[in-house]
Amino acid sequence: MMDFWKHNRSWLWPTLFICPAVILFGVVIVWSSLQSLWISLHQWDGLGPKVWVGLSNYRELFQDPQFFVALKNNVIWLVLFMLAPPLGLAIALLVNQKIQGMRIAKSLFFTPLVLASVAVGVVFTWVYTPRFGLLALVYSAFGAEAPALLSNPDLVTFAVVGAALWPQIAFCMILYLAGLNNLSEELIGAGRVDGARGWDMLRHVVLPQLKEVTFIAIAITAIGALRSFDMISVMTQGGPFGSSSVLAYEMYEQSIFSYRFGYGAAIAAVLFVIMLVFIGWYLSRIMRAEELR
Amino acid sequence: MIRSRLTRRGALKLGAGFTATALAAPAIAQQRELRIINDTNAGPERDGFVEVVEGFAAESGTEIDLSFIDHEAHKTAIRNYLVADAPDICFWFSGNRMKTFVDRELFLDITDFVEEQGYPDVLGGVISAVTIDGRQWGLPLNGTLWGNWYLSNVFDEMGLTPPSDWDGMLAFVDQTRGMDLVPMTLGTKELWPAAGLFDQFSLRTVGLDTHMALMNGEIAYTDPQLSPIFDHWEQLINAGAFLENHTSFTWQEAAALLGRREAAMINLGPFVNSAIPEADREFLTYAPFPEIADIPRFEDFSTDSVHIPARAENPEVAKEFLAYYYRPENLMKTIGPAGAVPPRNDIPAGDNPLVNQAVESLRTVAGTAQYYDRDTDPDMAQAGLNGFQEFMVRPERREQILQRLEQTRQRIYGDV
Repeated sequence: MMDFWKHNRSWLWPTLFICPAVILFGVVIVWSSLQSLWISLHQWDGLGPKVWVGLSNYRELFQDPQFFVALKNNVIWLVLFMLAPPLGLAIALLVNQKIQGMRIAKSLFFTPLVLASVAVGVVFTWVYTPRFGLLALVYSAFGAEAPALLSNPDLVTFAVVGAALWPQIAFCMILYLAGLNNLSEELIGAGRVDGARGWDMLRHVVLPQLKEVTFIAIAITAIGALRSFDMISVMTQGGPFGSSSVLAYEMYEQSIFSYRFGYGAAIAAVLFVIMLVFIGWYLSRIMRAEELR
Repeated sequence: MIRSRLTRRGALKLGAGFTATALAAPAIAQQRELRIINDTNAGPERDGFVEVVEGFAAESGTEIDLSFIDHEAHKTAIRNYLVADAPDICFWFSGNRMKTFVDRELFLDITDFVEEQGYPDVLGGVISAVTIDGRQWGLPLNGTLWGNWYLSNVFDEMGLTPPSDWDGMLAFVDQTRGMDLVPMTLGTKELWPAAGLFDQFSLRTVGLDTHMALMNGEIAYTDPQLSPIFDHWEQLINAGAFLENHTSFTWQEAAALLGRREAAMINLGPFVNSAIPEADREFLTYAPFPEIADIPRFEDFSTDSVHIPARAENPEVAKEFLAYYYRPENLMKTIGPAGAVPPRNDIPAGDNPLVNQAVESLRTVAGTAQYYDRDTDPDMAQAGLNGFQEFMVRPERREQILQRLEQTRQRIYGDV
């Protein structure tokens, strides 16, 4: 017995330690993903028996105009969310200056991260409310009428993304602030000796060192954009008439309100495939970085 | 002993552990417990219910675990808890919404209890709201009569009278718009108020039988006999009768315009009083939706109900509680504040003007539906609510919207 242990402990210990994580990941992520794929091949109301329908949920999905509205909105989210990393970097560079009072500015920029995103959604909804909202009051002070952002099917998604960007920018700012703290003083000093300053310094000395942070910021922002749900649920509930819905919200609405878990699971499967692209890219980058090390 | 807490079961269990230890009573091992989930988490109705629960706890020596869940959140939570973690008492909507759970054997059949207590005599026709196949699956609580509501003091000041027929309605729209009032304030952010309007137009033009046939999926949404509904509705929309950008407003925000003297009427139930300022509340007055076709008067009259889940752990205590709660004086503590009509006919007329108006008005009603999303299949209802909201913003898309609803109807009910 002891012999066995002695001979094999080089792999037994790691296995033992990794077991809890593997079991948890297996049950919570892998198993439930497979299960929802399985459900997507059924017609199921969430309570009664499941009826096998093969791929018909997917066939219906690709003929459903609402699905394409949601997909289009997901693209809008993804594209606009890409503003968060550069804006976060700009703010990080700003508040990283050693100017008096910058600490206060820093903490102000930090605030939205502390707020629950639901709270952010509620506050922005109030701002946008026609007649009573802050936006309406500001416009009326100039004698104009504010657009009803959350009632306009063409603008509503932009209005919601605007609200969601606020905490996301703050998040990117934090990432970049951490990155800026780790800049190599030697490289900057060397750059200075060579006469680099201002834009050149940023472009050729600072940014290359922030490459890893940028990569993480973009990956997390992309995934955050795709799984956007809470803001939409709080601010518009997908409305008006589904025009601000995204895949994640569509999945929720179909499963919970229409009692169509199979159809909802099919939407989830499509969303999963889209996310897989970004997750795959993220993982491959990380693995490559580890190999290089 | 009562532990009254807010939502979210998981965290609550933890809390329950603490309270239980803290309250650990000496010696007596009497285990009478009752778990209740209630979905009215605000206002005097809530206070009234807490009072009832405290009364029952004191009278029967039962330990009661009472949780409140937000009304909208409860609509999704109930399916989870009925299956996974059923309380002993829960609240729901009667009619088709109740049938969903009865069909899946999630509500307890309480027919014997209802007979034993003699409820059929005091309930009269109202009992049909909780009856399926001759058995009772719950007790009806409050009847909500839907229609137009206005503030009589504002109408007096401005010299307005509520319209009673279609021409009067159109004239009313012009008149109020001329006074810079919104003729009908409306908040469709939560979708369902638009469906209430659909019901009004449907019940006033095609009548109850056709309306119910549509609710049961027996008529196509594209059927030409339904066109009077949408013709009249469109006419009002195009006349500017409804609040602009209503999709941005909840019904509470929309109703607030009445008190601010910015709108004339709202089409909802008497619970709208919670959004009216204290000073104006007593002037809130009901007016039936104007007559359109020459048919008897039909109205939406929806009933909420209280149920014992089939998987309740203490169904006997739950029945005792129901018997206590269903005493007239206790019942009125929770349904009076919302201006709802009591289900029992042995409750004396009180001084609540909202209740009395509804009771009075119901005498001339020839038949009632419940409400769009209570009368039809939930899947159909979700599509319908979205479709009606869209129609109210883009009436020119009528054909496409109806076609889409018809597709959904076919998927659910099959061919006509």
